[in-house]
Amino acid sequence: MLPSAIKYEPYMPLVNGFLPPITSLPAIDEIRVPVESDTDIVAARQKGRALAVRLGFSSGEATMVATAISELARNIVLYAKRGEMIFGRESNGDGPILVITARDEGEGIADVRQAMQDGYSTAGRLGVGLPGVKRLMDEFEISSTVGQGTVVVVKKWKE
Amino acid sequence: MERVTSSSNPALQKQFAMALEAHLTQGGEAALLEAYELGRTVLNERLGVLDVATLLQGALVAACQRRPPESVRTVQAAGSFVLECLSSFEMAHRAVREANTALRGLNQFLEDQTRRISHELHDEAGQLLATVYLALDDIARDLPAPAAARLQSVKTLLDRIEEELRRLSHDLRPTVLDDLGLMAALDVLAEGVSGRTGLWVKVEGQREGRLPPAIETVLYRIVQEALNNVSKHAHASAVTIVIRREARRVWCSVRDDGVGFDPGTARPAVKGIGLIGIRERLASIGGALSIDAAPGRGTELRVAIPLPNDSPRELRS
Repeated sequence: MLPSAIKYEPYMPLVNGFLPPITSLPAIDEIRVPVESDTDIVAARQKGRALAVRLGFSSGEATMVATAISELARNIVLYAKRGEMIFGRESNGDGPILVITARDEGEGIADVRQAMQDGYSTAGRLGVGLPGVKRLMDEFEISSTVGQGTVVVVKKWKE
Repeated sequence: MERVTSSSNPALQKQFAMALEAHLTQGGEAALLEAYELGRTVLNERLGVLDVATLLQGALVAACQRRPPESVRTVQAAGSFVLECLSSFEMAHRAVREANTALRGLNQFLEDQTRRISHELHDEAGQLLATVYLALDDIARDLPAPAAARLQSVKTLLDRIEEELRRLSHDLRPTVLDDLGLMAALDVLAEGVSGRTGLWVKVEGQREGRLPPAIETVLYRIVQEALNNVSKHAHASAVTIVIRREARRVWCSVRDDGVGFDPGTARPAVKGIGLIGIRERLASIGGALSIDAAPGRGTELRVAIPLPNDSPRELRS
């Protein structure tokens, strides 16, 4: 059983036990999609894209969201075998923010810094993978523990 | 039926057409994922944005030929297919933009460090040496003549050290470039190369006004590298350096009357490892370089650098 999503979210503004006002919490209506096959990747993209469209994102922005989901889900299927993706929304004063969380309980990443570097050795792969996701999104956070798993939280603001 | 595809890869073209057709007839996220994966695959195979656009155009034309012209929905759906195929190129494009910014910062950092070291060599080390001279003179006064003569040979060595320091500092970053600008610095550079190699070096160009410091630095480094190459490889007797300023760009040409080379067959070593550095410096400020050479007819290196729009054309130093 996967532990609760909240436990992993490092961006939560929890300081000295002070609970943030309820408005800045992620919305309750989170959408969860288990990920362990290519079919699940399609389902995750479909759910994420639908949410992006519902929040008023342009088709270009929705494509970036789908791409981020593809890359994160692909990593789960390839390296952790299974995990889940959670889609939710936040809002700041300017507009809605789409939040994507990808979690798995796989082997974890030993060297996160290295994983975040572009593959210089193979010029063709320039920019895809995790570094690519980071560039497409407005916020990116990753935490990984060897033997326990990986959590990636990315956010896309509506322009 | 007329073949409309201009793609050089029929197998890929067929794959694109089939995937798009599947998307247009069945639709859904699975077909869009297929589009994204196709884009990712061809990016990995090092295709360019225009190659992908060509493949997409071929697929779109094939799809339209199977449909009545009413199909707004078809075109819209095809549009999302196009977006998916290009999405990985968007990631790559952002990576390149980021790398370019980093390169620009790195160049600036190197230049700043070089300037600092050069000035420290010139000022600090120069000061210390002057103090040593004074101390030696002081000691010499108290010594009997034969010992004082031996001190004189130490001073001769110090003279050589001082000269070497001055040369090092100047090669790193000539203070004249900061103080008097590119043309004055090129004059000094030309004089130095002439003196060392016997080459006849001429510098032509408008002498009034300054260029933005980053551009002056790059041009100075390029001419420095070019003269280096000429004196090493060209067997030339004369070199002409021309700097020409226009409203929107600045041109630089370094032409020699040496043996030239065949750009088609020249080995990378002959083309010069230094050229790589030049190209990187240029790329970071949007400039371009071309080399015109033929066996027996000398070599000309030409550089064009766009000037920032707000660049003052007559800036007093």
